[in-house]
Amino acid sequence: MAQALDLAVSAVLLAGLYATMAYGLGLIYGVLRIVNLNHGGMIMAGAYAGWWLHSSYGVDPYLALVPVTLAAFAAGWLMYRLLVRRLPRGAAGGVQSLLLLFGVWLVLRNAAYLLFTGNDQTVRTSYSTHALPLMGAFLSVNRLLVFAGALVTLLVLHILLTRTYLGKAIRAVAQNPDSCTLVGIPVERIYALTFGLGTALAALAGLLGATLFSFNPGFGSTELLKSFVVVVLGGLGSVAGTALAALILAAVEVFAILVLPAYLTSAVGFVLLVLVLVLRPGGLFGQRVLA
Amino acid sequence: MRTCKLSLLFCAVVLAACKQSSPQAPEQPPGGAPAAAPAATGEAISIGATLPLTGSESRIGGFYKEGYELAFEEWNKKGGISVGGQKLPVKLTLLDDTSTQATAASLADRLINSDKVQFLLGTYASHLVEAQSVVAEQNHVPYVQGGGGAVEIHKRGFKWLFGLLAPVQLLSGAIMEWVDAQQAARKIPRPAKIAVVWENTAHGKDFRAGVKDFSEQHKGGYWIMMDESFELNGKDFGALLGKVKNSGADVFLVDAHLPDYITMQRQYVTLGLCHKIQSYGARGSEKQAADALGPEHVRYILSSVWWNAQLGTAGLTKDFADEFKARYGRSPEWYQAVSYETARALFLAIEKAGSLDRDKVREALASLNVDSILPGGKLSFPASSGQQAIYPFVVQQNQPDGTSPIVWPKESATSAGVAPNPDCSK
Repeated sequence: MAQALDLAVSAVLLAGLYATMAYGLGLIYGVLRIVNLNHGGMIMAGAYAGWWLHSSYGVDPYLALVPVTLAAFAAGWLMYRLLVRRLPRGAAGGVQSLLLLFGVWLVLRNAAYLLFTGNDQTVRTSYSTHALPLMGAFLSVNRLLVFAGALVTLLVLHILLTRTYLGKAIRAVAQNPDSCTLVGIPVERIYALTFGLGTALAALAGLLGATLFSFNPGFGSTELLKSFVVVVLGGLGSVAGTALAALILAAVEVFAILVLPAYLTSAVGFVLLVLVLVLRPGGLFGQRVLA
Repeated sequence: MRTCKLSLLFCAVVLAACKQSSPQAPEQPPGGAPAAAPAATGEAISIGATLPLTGSESRIGGFYKEGYELAFEEWNKKGGISVGGQKLPVKLTLLDDTSTQATAASLADRLINSDKVQFLLGTYASHLVEAQSVVAEQNHVPYVQGGGGAVEIHKRGFKWLFGLLAPVQLLSGAIMEWVDAQQAARKIPRPAKIAVVWENTAHGKDFRAGVKDFSEQHKGGYWIMMDESFELNGKDFGALLGKVKNSGADVFLVDAHLPDYITMQRQYVTLGLCHKIQSYGARGSEKQAADALGPEHVRYILSSVWWNAQLGTAGLTKDFADEFKARYGRSPEWYQAVSYETARALFLAIEKAGSLDRDKVREALASLNVDSILPGGKLSFPASSGQQAIYPFVVQQNQPDGTSPIVWPKESATSAGVAPNPDCSK
């Protein structure tokens, strides 16, 4: 019973991290129909930005979330205006967008090697190793904060997409960009804003991840794969589905340790991905668009 | 359908980015590179090496670089290596293998066939050495490595491979000997419950074998309650540590590389775990770990290593430690000592061979028996162990004052060590 409680807590907290990592990837795919391979690069960039602010100026990583997210939003908006909007739209642009954004990721990664070397870095705060007791288990303060971050992000995204004009415009563009042009919605601007938002979410995930793990310029590869699994499981383009899929993936990975060797547990997620692609190609929660 | 295609394409690109690959199987030995690699009169002896200067092993790769560079500088200051009555300088061509097996192997091929180096020094980490040594063997180039301690590397019958790291099985065996001494002194219970957790590599398997063998030889003294492996460069050890917690172990033994040690120990501390005795194999005393975790969270951790600066207060060891301090302004760790000694072993073999002929240098390495800075004071590559050096490990334990004195073996110990961990009773 105690073990089940430990594992359940571990799964829920891990799900928070997975969801935060996946929101940005899902949002950009849902609206632009582009798989942003540079998501991994922005996760890494977010981690380094938070580390730099903390080690150089003593800024708490959770306070650093605001400037880092805003800077990443601007970087994403610029990236769209300078690069992504030149890609062909629709299926024809699929391969080109993968290659272009993969290239951007490689440039970012090598820039990080030049700037920060390949050494592992960590963000250590006074509460990095603090934990709160709960019925015999211990909850890491950092993990709780990351989980809270995931919930807040989900809530903000939900309100943005359902209660604001911008959100409605994003959903409309995701459904039919041509009709949006006819009714006067600035489609290009919506695309740029969405790309900026997705990029900002990637950097936010990177910074939150940096409070938990050590990282180097290679950081982001595994996180991108996990994000992809979560987004496909949840149904590409579904924010609430992304959060639920993150919970399912985390639970499957964590509870798998009861029946599998620990080194195989991370592979369970990929088995799940293959099963979902074969049995429900639209994802567990359907191919809904930003509902 | 479109999602499926996109997914496949995505996975292919990301996997390419991750650059993971498995070691190549050795092919039938070809003719190899030219057996003789003579240098023109006065020309430098060209030695090639790769190290993980970027990627997950970059920090340790940097340490190995320091050891190599110190050895080359020291020998060049003396005028170089004496070959056939003539002193020849040594030149190191060092490349970054990015901590990946495929790159380590392909760069070794480039060093031999494009850069035309005469001899090779090894990279760091067992899985990289395992892949790279295949290339040296195929090309008949003497390959001296101090970065791979897994027994599996030396069980393949390779003739051109020489290893300075004593087998990892002895590493965990040395920790168990100290644990046994604590049990004999009634500081930990008998039988003691052990949780052994190891990275899923040849290195980790040897570590586990060392613990299991010792436990079986001391029947009734130890119960292995948990025996689990984990993926290298893991991110979340929460579930694994939950299992450790439920095992009720007294002794927690892990074999991990530095990044995994830091990640796992951080989660270990936040989960409120504490064991009477704890070790991360060869990791534990690194300054980066204390910086990343806080010194209070690494105290009393045991580490079993191939070298410790406290070993020698005279002779070769002191000379090395003094020179290292003079150049880098800090004390060396085992990483720099082993890499320094790796380069030195190759230099001594070239001198002994009196020639740059690869066959002769290989023979000189096979019969080498010289004074060494390594524990035991002697270095050789016995054929019986697949040309892997055999010598005792030293076990050290982090203390609250930031030092890591040697606690085992008894004859080298500078402290008795502390068991059980006093923090567990707080």
